[in-house]
Amino acid sequence: MFNIIFNQELRVLSTNQTWWGVLSLLVILTVLAALNGNARFEQMTTAAAKLNQDEVITQTALQAGAQRYDSNPVGDPPAVTSPGNVGLSLLGHYAVMRHDVLAPLSVGQTDVQPYYYRVTAHPSHTFFSASEIQNPLTQMTGSFDVAFVMIFVLPILIIAISFDLMSREKEGGMLGLIAAQGVSLRTLILAKVAARALILLVVLLALTALAAFLAGADLTQAQTFNTVALWFAVVVGYAAFWFALAFLINALSWPSVTNGVVLANLWLLFVVVLPSIVNVIAGTLYPAPSRVHLTTEMREATEEADKAAAASREAYLFDHPELAGAGGNMDGFYVQVLATDAAVEKVVTPIMAQFAEQAGKREGVVDFLQYTSPAIAAQQALNALVGTGNSHFEDFTSQVERFHGNWRGFFVGKIVKGERMATADFDAIPKFEYAAPDATFTRQTAYSPLMFLGLAVIVLIGWAGRRYARYPIV
Amino acid sequence: MILSIAKKELTSALRDGRVMWSAAIFAVMLIASLGSAAQRYADISSERAAAQEIVNAQWQNQGEKNPHAAAHYGVYAFKAVTPLSFFDTGVSSFTGVSIWLEAHKQNMAEGEPARDATAIARFGELTGAFTLQMLLPLLVILLAFASFAGEREQGTLRQVLAMGVSPIRLYFGKALGAATAAGLFVIPVFVLGLIGLLLVPGGVAFLGHALVVVAVYIVYAAIFLFLTLAVSAAADSSRTALVVMVAFWAVSSVALPKAAADASRLIYDTPTSVAFQKAIAADLENGMGGKSLDAIVAERKEQMLKLYKVDSIEKMPINFQGVVLGLQEQLSNAVFDKNYGQLYAALNQQKGVFETFSVLSPRLAVQMASMELSETSLGNHIAFTAQAETYRRNMIDTMNKALTMNSTGANPEYRAGPELWAKVGVFDYTHPPLTQLLSVLGPSFMVMFLWLAASIVAGLLAARKLKALAA
Repeated sequence: MFNIIFNQELRVLSTNQTWWGVLSLLVILTVLAALNGNARFEQMTTAAAKLNQDEVITQTALQAGAQRYDSNPVGDPPAVTSPGNVGLSLLGHYAVMRHDVLAPLSVGQTDVQPYYYRVTAHPSHTFFSASEIQNPLTQMTGSFDVAFVMIFVLPILIIAISFDLMSREKEGGMLGLIAAQGVSLRTLILAKVAARALILLVVLLALTALAAFLAGADLTQAQTFNTVALWFAVVVGYAAFWFALAFLINALSWPSVTNGVVLANLWLLFVVVLPSIVNVIAGTLYPAPSRVHLTTEMREATEEADKAAAASREAYLFDHPELAGAGGNMDGFYVQVLATDAAVEKVVTPIMAQFAEQAGKREGVVDFLQYTSPAIAAQQALNALVGTGNSHFEDFTSQVERFHGNWRGFFVGKIVKGERMATADFDAIPKFEYAAPDATFTRQTAYSPLMFLGLAVIVLIGWAGRRYARYPIV
Repeated sequence: MILSIAKKELTSALRDGRVMWSAAIFAVMLIASLGSAAQRYADISSERAAAQEIVNAQWQNQGEKNPHAAAHYGVYAFKAVTPLSFFDTGVSSFTGVSIWLEAHKQNMAEGEPARDATAIARFGELTGAFTLQMLLPLLVILLAFASFAGEREQGTLRQVLAMGVSPIRLYFGKALGAATAAGLFVIPVFVLGLIGLLLVPGGVAFLGHALVVVAVYIVYAAIFLFLTLAVSAAADSSRTALVVMVAFWAVSSVALPKAAADASRLIYDTPTSVAFQKAIAADLENGMGGKSLDAIVAERKEQMLKLYKVDSIEKMPINFQGVVLGLQEQLSNAVFDKNYGQLYAALNQQKGVFETFSVLSPRLAVQMASMELSETSLGNHIAFTAQAETYRRNMIDTMNKALTMNSTGANPEYRAGPELWAKVGVFDYTHPPLTQLLSVLGPSFMVMFLWLAASIVAGLLAARKLKALAA
């Protein structure tokens, strides 16, 4: 009997215009979103390549200058041989985060968090505060990516095709007829849901594979395959949640229209209202320290340090070292710059630590409260899987922080010892190598949202099952 | 007749549990978001004012210095907020809150609050504007989707029409009834919000803004009301009417703005910050209009040697270094004007794409108007940076002139003091007058008007062809 109804449903659905409309809309939106995500990351990759090119050009020019002096050391050594001048002023190293090949599927925090920093021998807060030029209007609106289609649009489409699953049969009087044929209600519902779920599952599988393919992912690689599989599992779990919810609402035997109203409100609750409330809660419990306060503190510290420096040196020359007389020994100047930097850093470091600490606590609140809404859980999982969540950017920042220690150490050591930059020294300047977080570990972050979604589906279906046992067929 | 229809609609709306629940939740959320807005305004406006006072005092008490060293020290300008900035936070989470004003450089604003937020902030911030833009249309749809279609299903539409009630009157009666029902929940909250605005310090000055904002949201609700009535009159069932309207709401309010954002990025390029700084550096190096700084300085030197009838700069009665700094500032100002001008032009072109998309999405038009009036739009941010830059240029100019006139051969160790620092004045953002904010909203108001007119006409047409029985 199940097979008969199941096949019948498939036939009915194949001629149903709403179904075709919904499925083609899903396909079109997903493809557009995938292409759009790719375009964004291609722009970023091009920009990053340009940065590295520029840096190589600068460094080669500096090295050539040092080499000229090395081969013919006549007169005062040029500025390029001063480690202070190179590390504090002329050269910066671009530390670039390599994005995951699947990142275009979920842009996540990519448009807010920097993906490259220009590392110098100054304290890290001087370059960590820099940000990429972006239109705040587009940042505010957010990106049209595959994750958006899955989290925002997919539930609406699922609601549109399932809000009157049973109520319509009942309103049309079909339910009584079918029941008179000796078909159990449970079989009927299961067959109807199974037919719809199967079609959607196939479509989602195809779309996930297509999106991964468009992003340029190589699915023959085990790591990539596993990540894509888990992404698919999260999407399916999320879709199943909405199916189950519609299934439950239908079990309450309200009219179709009430079902539609209630489901639309639930969409609003889970996808719009709860995330914004959780955001308020996280921000209120653990607010970021004031950036305004940071600014005034930094200024106070800079001024103190500058005064100390100015006491021993002409303030005007301090601001215009180039006027101190060509060929003059600048080493003393850079030692003073380092002293000022250190004084400012001493004030800034604890504030920056507070920023990081509060941010960590906020993420903790969200990790906990994501279980209030499947949309939050899905977003967190999808961002984490493709490496565009805040945690990936924090990891990048701490890698840069460590690298900055090496880079700075290289120059500071030379400045303090009064050494000069020789040709070979330019080759010895440390280079940043981004290490992507372990994929196995990353995938683990998606397990608990996935389990939550699975659990929610089981609870909803169980609940609905009990209601269907008492479902009035007329 | 219209009144009694309206009364009936109102009564049935008030008896509908679905509607009452939705309306109550909506009102609670709106009140909560307005309350938190008042709190945030109090916190942030006092924090910024205090910070501005600190940097002003730091500037004033920096001691005796060479004026150019003071120019390097500079000041910070903090972005001013209005009470409405927290009703609609607009782009302010993604724009910096302070700018360092120093010699030689036009800096960008820094300290974007979004970098200190979790990823779920991207779902949207819980503000009054967000609640009104997202939830109000849904409430209106719930109130009105069954107006005609529901009565047709129950068979009462046939009776009403048989009584000789004109469909047009029925249409306006139903509109009035649904509007009254929605108004019962929304208007008191608006009034509460306006009273709250009058109570916060400095709120009175923004009453006009707030009234226009209220009008914008009433028009927004009206667009959805008439559209829903039109769809309800034309649809074959209330089920279809509901699906169509919810789909329209979801697509136009959620999907289209994102499409607009990405389209604007793909159509109009903005430079990376590195490329932007490089372009500025190149212009500074090469000079503007084919004249490098060195050439300009040499020319001015000749002029001044002739003017003072001396043969070296040391013999001039003024400090020529100060003149050079002034020339350098003139060049860099021209370079900044050019490069920032191009950048802002690109950003505004991107904004134009949003305005174009608003033809398809009433929410976008409303959003643009709401942000502008709340002074949290892109344009308002640019206005802040422009005022800060004007202040910076005056400050640097004052310093350079003092250096030129005072640090002469007779007084090479010249040090300026508090009198000179005081001459610069303090940075105080002048809010644009309401008329100026309104003047940039032409496109948005036009789109809203067109949507309103089109939805009313659509409703009238659908009502005229009203069928008493379902097909």
